[in-house]
Amino acid sequence: MLICEDISFDIDGQKLFSNINLNIKPQKDLLITGPSGVGKTTLLSILCGIQKPTTGKITYNSIDLYNLPENKIDEFRGKNLGVVFQNFNLINTFTVKQNLEIAVSAIDTKKSIPFFNILDRVGLANKSHIKVANLSIGEKQRLAVARAFVGDPKWVFCDEPTSSLDDKNANIIANLIKEESLRCKASLVLITHDSRIQTLIKFSKILKLGDEL
Amino acid sequence: MIVGITIITVSILVNQVTKETFSKNNPGLDAVVGAKGSPLQLILSSIHHIDIPTGNISYKNARKIIKHPAIKSAIPISLGDNFQNFRIVGTNKSFLKLYKANLISGTAWSQPMQAVIGYNVSKITKLKINKFFVGSHGLIDTGDVHAEQPYKVVGVLKKTGTILDNLILTSLDSVWNLHSVTNKDKLEITSLLLKYKNKTSSFSFPRLINKGTNMQAASPSFEISKLLKLTGNAHRIVDYLSVLIMILSFLGILFTLLNNINERKYDLAVLRTLGFSRWKLFSIILSEGMIISILGSTIGLIFGYIVYESMYYFSIVGRSLELGQLSFLNDLFLIWIIVNIIAFITCLVPCIKVYKQNIRSTLLNS
Repeated sequence: MLICEDISFDIDGQKLFSNINLNIKPQKDLLITGPSGVGKTTLLSILCGIQKPTTGKITYNSIDLYNLPENKIDEFRGKNLGVVFQNFNLINTFTVKQNLEIAVSAIDTKKSIPFFNILDRVGLANKSHIKVANLSIGEKQRLAVARAFVGDPKWVFCDEPTSSLDDKNANIIANLIKEESLRCKASLVLITHDSRIQTLIKFSKILKLGDEL
Repeated sequence: MIVGITIITVSILVNQVTKETFSKNNPGLDAVVGAKGSPLQLILSSIHHIDIPTGNISYKNARKIIKHPAIKSAIPISLGDNFQNFRIVGTNKSFLKLYKANLISGTAWSQPMQAVIGYNVSKITKLKINKFFVGSHGLIDTGDVHAEQPYKVVGVLKKTGTILDNLILTSLDSVWNLHSVTNKDKLEITSLLLKYKNKTSSFSFPRLINKGTNMQAASPSFEISKLLKLTGNAHRIVDYLSVLIMILSFLGILFTLLNNINERKYDLAVLRTLGFSRWKLFSIILSEGMIISILGSTIGLIFGYIVYESMYYFSIVGRSLELGQLSFLNDLFLIWIIVNIIAFITCLVPCIKVYKQNIRSTLLNS
């Protein structure tokens, strides 16, 4: 279970958001919406252990995330969380397959990863040896999703996964995220200001930043 | 880095082997008496068989020195010919005792035109017992041979690790016969290798020879230390140069790594988001730097050794040098360790930069 208590974040002494309380049960999902600039991406970074909050506590199954040493936070993220970043954060000089391989090497798993199956599921099986720099936006988005799920995470965070895509590709990505979450039995936290997402995925909870839960 | 280590390696090897060789080639001789000229030249030609002799001295005068009360032992040598660049030394059997030489096969010479050959001579020229060879006039093979009077190999010496391995020894009579010197009053030798009865003679005896005769007496230890001091300065300049190259190499590694992580800071931040810890990235960058350093320094050592070996085998001077018991390996290993410790410290700078990287701001700025 993911529990956030009284999360707040200040930038240069100015409050970006405060008193955010969340409680996400296993295999449940949460949609975080709000207009640009309210701190959605910052909140996601906080939840993923990338950005320490100004105040508050985040616990994953009783593990106080920011009470862990920095190295352990990185390791925890690699082993338990899958993140689809807004700008994908793929390594452009690597091939499609290498991007998955490097993600797997970070989690130090001993089980063999069926890369072909994963790429097949996201429709990139025939592009495994192509460099990321040569992929289209939609393909990069699919690869970012594939990478987020490659280690079978327990919590998945997606930042604006459909906002730069047309309706057709948005549909593909939303379905993909939904299917992969179900396959991994992962809780999903999705952040977007794209209003189409709610028609594509049914969320059990919705948080509008600035509004009450 | 490879260039720097190569130069340092060659410098150390040449320096050490030169010192070791000079020390091993002198079996405790106190002085060399020969024709007037450069004392260093006399020592180099008579003991180390590198340079050409300063000239000849009368054997009659030499015999007076042999009988001098200050002299414990005196061994005459006569140079002038060679076989395939290996010097033929006319001397007496005391020369073999002086170097504690033992025979692998055969015996010492008992008649003129019989020769005992050193270990390297036998190995390189393939001469064996009972084989004949003809000497060439001069100390370097010019092709002007004494074809009418060949030498017969009667003995082969065991390896000594000294200049003896590169010499062909024969009796003084052989040299005199070969050069058709029959008048006993006109017999000449190149020099006399002396040991004093008392070390205090090392001051008075050379003065006696240098002022009272047309010969000179030179001290091997004094002349060689003078030479090593001179070459030591050259070595030091080479060493400074190689240290400068090494410093540039370290700066090269530092800036390469810094530039590398600057170009890859986004990728490194992505790796952090994927679960690579700070320490893991720290160790990856450190490994990259250390692989460059270890490979560079090891290749440099190997190159240095190859350059040195080439110098050894392809120079005529090199034939008069003998590799020691690899005692220099300790020095090279120490340098290898020091270089890699400095490289390790240098690599820490970019590693710390990676360790301190703020992944969120890096990703946002990218």
